[in-house]
Order: sequence, then structure tokens, then C-alpha cells
Amino acid sequence: MSIEPPESTVSPSEGYSEGYSEGSSSAPSRRTFIATTAVGSAVVAGGLIGGPSVFGVEPADAATQAPPTSSVSVTVNGERRTVTVDNRTSLLDLLRERMGLTGSKKGCNAGACGACTVLVDGQRVNSCLTLAVRLDGAEVTTIEGLAKGERLHPLQQAFIDQDAFQCGFCTSGQIMSGVGCIKEGHTGSPEEIREFMSGNICRCGCYVKIVRAVEQTAHGK
Amino acid sequence: MSPQPQAAVGAPLSRVDGRLKVTGQAKYTADHDIDGVVHAVIVDSSVARGRITGIDTRAADAQPGVLGLISHLDKPALAYRDNPGAWLDPRSGERLHVFQDDKVRFLGQPVAVVVARTLEAAQHAADLVKVSYDAEKPSTDMSASGVPENDPLPPQNYVRGNPEDALASAVVKLEGTYRLTRNHHNALEPHATIARWDGEKLTVWDKTQWTVGARDELAAVFGMSAENVRVISPFVGGAFGNGLRTWPHTTIAALAARQIRRPVKLVLTREQLYYGVGYRPAYEYGLRLGSTRGGRVTAALHRIRAETSSYEHYVEGVMNPGQMLYATPHVRQAYRTVPLDVNTPTFMRGPGWSSAAFAIESAMDELAHETGIDPIELRLRNEPQEDPVNGLPWSTRRLTECLRTGARAFGWHRRNPKPRSRRDGDWLIGMGMASGIYDTLRMQSEARVRLDADGTALVQASTSDMGPGTYTSVTQLAADALGLTMRTVRFELGDSTFPPSPPHGGSQTMAGVGSAVQDGCDKLRQEAIKLAVEDERSPLHGVDADDIVVRGGRLHVKSNPARGETYRQLLARNSRTHLETRGTFTPSGDDRYSMNAYSVTFAEVAVDRRLGLVRMRRMLGVYDVGRIISPKLADSQALGAMVGGVGQALLEHTATDHRDGRIVNANLADYLVPVNADIPDIKAIYLDGEDLHADPIGVKGLGEIVKVGVAPAIANAVFNATGRRVRDLPITAEALL
Repeated sequence: MSIEPPESTVSPSEGYSEGYSEGSSSAPSRRTFIATTAVGSAVVAGGLIGGPSVFGVEPADAATQAPPTSSVSVTVNGERRTVTVDNRTSLLDLLRERMGLTGSKKGCNAGACGACTVLVDGQRVNSCLTLAVRLDGAEVTTIEGLAKGERLHPLQQAFIDQDAFQCGFCTSGQIMSGVGCIKEGHTGSPEEIREFMSGNICRCGCYVKIVRAVEQTAHGK
Repeated sequence: MSPQPQAAVGAPLSRVDGRLKVTGQAKYTADHDIDGVVHAVIVDSSVARGRITGIDTRAADAQPGVLGLISHLDKPALAYRDNPGAWLDPRSGERLHVFQDDKVRFLGQPVAVVVARTLEAAQHAADLVKVSYDAEKPSTDMSASGVPENDPLPPQNYVRGNPEDALASAVVKLEGTYRLTRNHHNALEPHATIARWDGEKLTVWDKTQWTVGARDELAAVFGMSAENVRVISPFVGGAFGNGLRTWPHTTIAALAARQIRRPVKLVLTREQLYYGVGYRPAYEYGLRLGSTRGGRVTAALHRIRAETSSYEHYVEGVMNPGQMLYATPHVRQAYRTVPLDVNTPTFMRGPGWSSAAFAIESAMDELAHETGIDPIELRLRNEPQEDPVNGLPWSTRRLTECLRTGARAFGWHRRNPKPRSRRDGDWLIGMGMASGIYDTLRMQSEARVRLDADGTALVQASTSDMGPGTYTSVTQLAADALGLTMRTVRFELGDSTFPPSPPHGGSQTMAGVGSAVQDGCDKLRQEAIKLAVEDERSPLHGVDADDIVVRGGRLHVKSNPARGETYRQLLARNSRTHLETRGTFTPSGDDRYSMNAYSVTFAEVAVDRRLGLVRMRRMLGVYDVGRIISPKLADSQALGAMVGGVGQALLEHTATDHRDGRIVNANLADYLVPVNADIPDIKAIYLDGEDLHADPIGVKGLGEIVKVGVAPAIANAVFNATGRRVRDLPITAEALL
């Protein structure tokens, strides 16, 4: 038995520049879909809806163009920055790889773990699922922007007091999510906090103490 | 010497690295900003068994920003020397050699790596690599017919007494097969490596639980001197065992950096972690028990099968609990591995011991039900007076106390032994418990201690802190031993150039590293005291060194605190920039005692009688782990292990499509781990005590034992709630409908 890879893939250049064109021959076959999603990156997801097939195009042609870029102005932790980004860049990768803000973590890159949680215009979002090009004019707050100088945000202090973390890798996301949870007013009971903090996985299992930290902060205990 | 006053040890202190972690400043591997770094992405095999027939890299190579691509076609030179120091690697078989041949051994095996200037370009180019295979049908199902006839290894056996005769003559007989699905560690931090070559020297930032182990393995793989390799790992975002070995991706990153001549960063995707860094193997655990009517277990026959890869035979301590948890006079065990077309399993929290505990502690619950004896009373009746394996006395064994303390604290008397007898609306309520045991590991460790003229101290060891709080607990030990405040002691870890530490796993870090630090600090304090009492200008001149203690950085006569001076004064007057010592810990090799930690876990569950949903209501763990250095952090470890146990018992399940060997839920949305809403209020109690046979600081290790016994406690509670005995993990709604 021999398994060949699918011949049909989507050119990054054409795919990104032209967008989805209905009725083209590019509709992914099931075979293409399985083969390409196996790698599971956002890039492939973009390619799937991306446009005409390069079926039959020589690989060399596919590479003659640099990937499309966009200029984005975004306010991060109070500082306005204008950057040129590869359109494939997620907010998380922009923060981590371009802006040196590595406090936001990549745990799954698929919106399932919450380690990348930041606030965009005051709302908690998974920055791994947010394309940077969408954020022109947005205000982003990351864990690095929470403390006022040396003075920690009350929820940061509560996480220390309650020992609401062990390895610390999910902590940035937990705290940003907790800030959102408190702002949303979902802190009426421990049960409500548990429910509204369930988008953030803590594999070390600090949930009991995370709830206490959010409670302590919400109720000024 | 006079014992030091205890101020930090035993106090419920917050983490010394807490501020770094809550502000996002703690640097995990992928966070390090290395000048000129480029990005690598691995291309994995999409078949589970066969040969690579072609790799078309034209489209990938032509992508803007792509710097290079490596596969077996490039025949990269790697030495893969034997590494006898890699004692955590399976004893039988050979580690995976990356890009050395065209053979595919499991789905997800790295077949190429793409390096590009940006992460986006590398990811996209990796997608464009076309690999063709000559694929064969893989074998990935342990329960399929035909296995383990292909097992090249004889089973491991253990026997004492006459188990078959004892079973035949037993009044009460039970038999069951318990199945544990594979579990993946799924620490939140994906494994990552940044590799940089400076001439002949290799520096690697790596997610690892064993910096010196990673250093030695890289030296062996690249055929170089270990002195030319440095591994740096100051923060580890959880690992639970899968950072103990050095996995192929670490080699790949270093290889790519060598080839491209630039520093390379490689971070595994969540999906790649399922194929790249090991897992807790699936088990089939057949257990037959023979007992008296009064619940004395006379015979136990264990037939154990576990999955492993085709290229390495991974075994773990799954036989031990069945030999020593209870005083069973007649025991037989056979343990064999089943080689499959999968990647190699590895240690995961409570490795082996926790898998065995599910079978044994479920069976004990069945025996309690069968004989009408309370489960706690049943365990008390089977409590061994000495280690049944070798007749050695226990160094400390306070399992009985754990049982009684826990029963009181949990309100065990409220449990109705008749299943399905307690309700709360549509919910059936049940209580269960299980015991646990884990051996106390101790290994050679070293530490460097330096006291500077400004009165602050620096302590270093190459160990890791994957979450338990090594930074904090070692600082507590050092502060007390040096007579300094927590703020004036800094502990640095996670660098292979620091004094050697054993693997940060198996709950041995405090026993080894902690004891070495204690030793180094004791030596340094005594050196300072000696300097003072021999110094004519010191107020302590002529005082018996044994009468001096140090507190808050000040040496003074124990009975007369007014007479003394500070470290700063002492060092300044003697024109010393610093004092430095090296602490060591060598296990006594004391074979006069059997040393283990013990646990009892209690669980209360609610099961929806119509939907079969299981919800946790309460949990309690009670532990005999020796001395507790850092109670606040120890509490977190125990609660976290109970959360992990909820996952193992009710949620976690690796689903493999055996037609092609693909894990269909290799992500955090479909491989379910507990979330906040799954966890009720849970509590932990540590018995006050110490075990000085184990090590000078009296600890027995706690990271593993807190996990052992959690899953069976939950399964037993489900039985008490529903009357349904589920012998397969995880216990899902389907099993209860």
C-alpha cells in the first residue's frame, strides 16, 4: 500500500491576497481536508477557505510572492504601536514574537486552554484565536500591563496569597480571565466563579485556590 | 552543633517566585529572547508504520523566509553514543534516532524539520512538505488478538508462598480485570527547545526536569564532550514526568541550529505532544483475590499487561504495591509489555504505583462489599507489620493513622455501606476511599552555598521546579540553616553548570537537593562560627562553637542573645568577600528499613440516576510523607493531585483510531481534563512527623503519593452511589446508564 499526499494545496500568496472565491475548483476534497488539518495550525485553517487551488501550478510559482502584510495600530498596555504584520499572525504571536511580551502563553493554540487570555477593549479573549490584523484601533491589556509600577493588581496579590498556582504557566491567562470575570460580575458565588473561570485550564489543579483568589478580589476580602 | 531556630521551615509562606509568575516575568523555555533566533517546525509522519518513499520539499523550500529543511535524505551526522547515565530510559530497546533512516515506527514520528525566519513562514512551509510512504497496517490496539505473542521479552515475575493453592482453598474469591486507558500529561507548557551553537559549544534552553540528564544525552547524541553542552531551564510549566527524558525534538532543535548556523527555537504543537513526549501507558490489570470470611487476604494473583513501543520496552513500578501494600502471604505477579506501533510511554505522576492502586484498591472495595466489612476496617485487618517483600521494618508507616484521621475528618461514619441508599433529588450520593503507597527515592545530590560580605546568600543546584515550589522550599531550608531571613537568601536552579542534582521526579527533590543544601548551609554556618570564635576581635571570641546560633544574619550565644555580631561585621573585619561551601547528600544505602510514603484518599460523588453523570462533591486526602518543609505549597500539591485523579477517574481518555494509529483527540478540547467547574472544595491533611531514616531533613517525598489512590477512591464512591462496579477508566456516563 502506498499513500500519496494530496496534490491539491492552496498557495499562500494567492490564498491570502484574493480571499475566498465561491465556486472555484478549490473546494477542499475530504482527502485534502484531512491531510491539511492534520497539522492543525491556524495557517491551514486560513488556507482552507483561502481561495483558488494551485493544483497544477509548479511549486516555484507559488513562492514568488512574499506573504501579504498589513499595518496595524494597536494600543498595548497603554502604549500605541503601529506594526506591519504578516496577515497570518495571531495576536498571541504578535505579543510574544514581535513585542517581547511573553507573559501571555501558548498552551494549545486552539482556544481550548485559556493560557493566552488577554483583554481586548476590556473583554477577555483567547489571543491565539485572534488575528492581529483584526485589531486596528483596539486596546489590548496583557499580564504585563496589570500592575501599577511596583504595586500589583489586587488579583495578582490574591493569587500569591492564596497560592493559586504551581508551575505558573497558566497563571497569566487565569489572572486576565479573572479580571474579566470580576468586571463581568460573575462572582456571585463560588459556583458562579467556577463556571465562568472554566475556560482556563490549570493542569497543576489549583482551581480551589483560583476561586478563592477571585472571590477575595471581587469582594475586597 | 547547636540546632538552628526554625523560622521559615514549616511556616505557611508564599512562593518566592510568586511575583515573577503573576506578572508574566517568569521565563519559560519559549520565552527566552535569544538574539537572532529563527523558528523550526517539525513535519510528522501521517502513517504509523512503513517507509518513507519520498519527500518533496520544493514548495516548502521556495517559501519566502525559509532557511532550510532537514530530513533523513540529508543523512545528518549524529553520533548517538550509548548514554549509560540515562537510567530513566528504558533498559531494553533503543531510543528513537531522528532523521537517520526511512523507517516509520509510529504516527507523528518526526520525518523532517523546516526552519524559517518567522514562525508563520515555518508553519506554512511545514504544511507544504509532501511526504510519501510505503505504509503497512499498524498494530496499536493492546487488546487486539495476536498480541502479545510478538513480545520479545519474557514477563517480569514475582512469587511468594503458594498463591494457586492459597487461592483454591480461600473461602472468599474475587476476580476482576481492570483497564486503565492511556493518559497524557498535558502540562500547560508545551515542550520547547532553543538551541544555539557557539563554535563547539552548545547551549540549550529546554523544558526539562533534569538539566544534567539533558546535557549528557545531547553530548551522547552529538558525540561531544558534556563540558561543551549547557542546558538552561529556570522555569518549567508543569511536566508531571514527561520532562525527565530528553526527547527527539531537543535533538532536532540542536541539529537544525547546527545546520542553519543560527539559534533555533522549536516549540511542539499541542498535537505533537501526544506523539513526542510519552504518556502513562494503558493497562490491563487482572487480579484474583482469596480471602478469609473475616477479610484477611491470603492470596493475590496479578496478571499485568501494559503497552509500549516497538523500539523501547518501557516498564515502571507497577508491581510494587501488590507486594507491599497489604500483608498478603501468597502472591504471584506477571507483568509484560505489549509492543505496538506507538511512541514510547514514560513516567507520569505516581508512575505504575497509581495504576496498580486502581486495580488493588478497587478489588479491596469489592472484597469489603463481599464480606460485609467496612472498607477501612478491612484495610486495618490487612496491615503488614513489616515489609512483606524482604521482612524489613518500616522506617515509618502510619497508614493506620491516616485511615483513622481521615475517617474522622471526612465523616466516614455517615456512609451507608449499602449501595444506592443515599439520594439528593435525582442524584445518587456515594462515598469511597482508597489507600496508597509510594517508595521514598533518594539520590546523590550536591549544592553550592555562598555567603557574601553584604550578608546575603546564594544557593545553587541544577535541579528544576516544575511547580511543586522547589525555589521556595529550598530557600526555607537554607534560610533557617544559615540563620538568615527568606529575603536575604536566593536559590538558583535549572542550569546544568550548577552542582549536579538527580532527576526532578519521583518525589525525590527535597530528599536529595534539600539535604545537600542543608548540608552546605550547615557547613557554611559552622565555618562562620569558627571564624568568629577564633577571632580575637569578635565578641564571640573563645565561646564554644556549639553554643552559638545564627538568627537574622547575626551570630550570637544561644543563651545570651546580646553577645554576638552579624555575618557582615564578621566578614568585613576579616576582609572576606564571601564564604563558600559545597553541600552533598549521599543516601546512606541503609537497607535496614523499608521507606515509603502513604496516603488515604476519600471521595464523595453524586451520580445523576437518569443521565449517568458523575459530579465530585467532596474530597479529602490524608498523608504520611514525613516532614513538611513548606505547608502552603504542600497543600497545593495535594489538591492538584486530587484534581489530576478526577481527570484519570472520570475524564481522561486517549482515543486512538486503530485503523491508522492516529490519536483522534490529540488536543485539549477533546482530551478532557478537569476544569474549574468540575472541582468541588477539597482538603488535604498531612500527619505531623518526620522520617530521619530516609534523609537528614526527614522528608519522604510527596508529589507522587498524593496522586496514588485518588482514582480508585472515586470509583469506589461511584459504586457506593450506584451499585455499579466500573472496572474501566475513565468512568463515563455510558458505563453508568
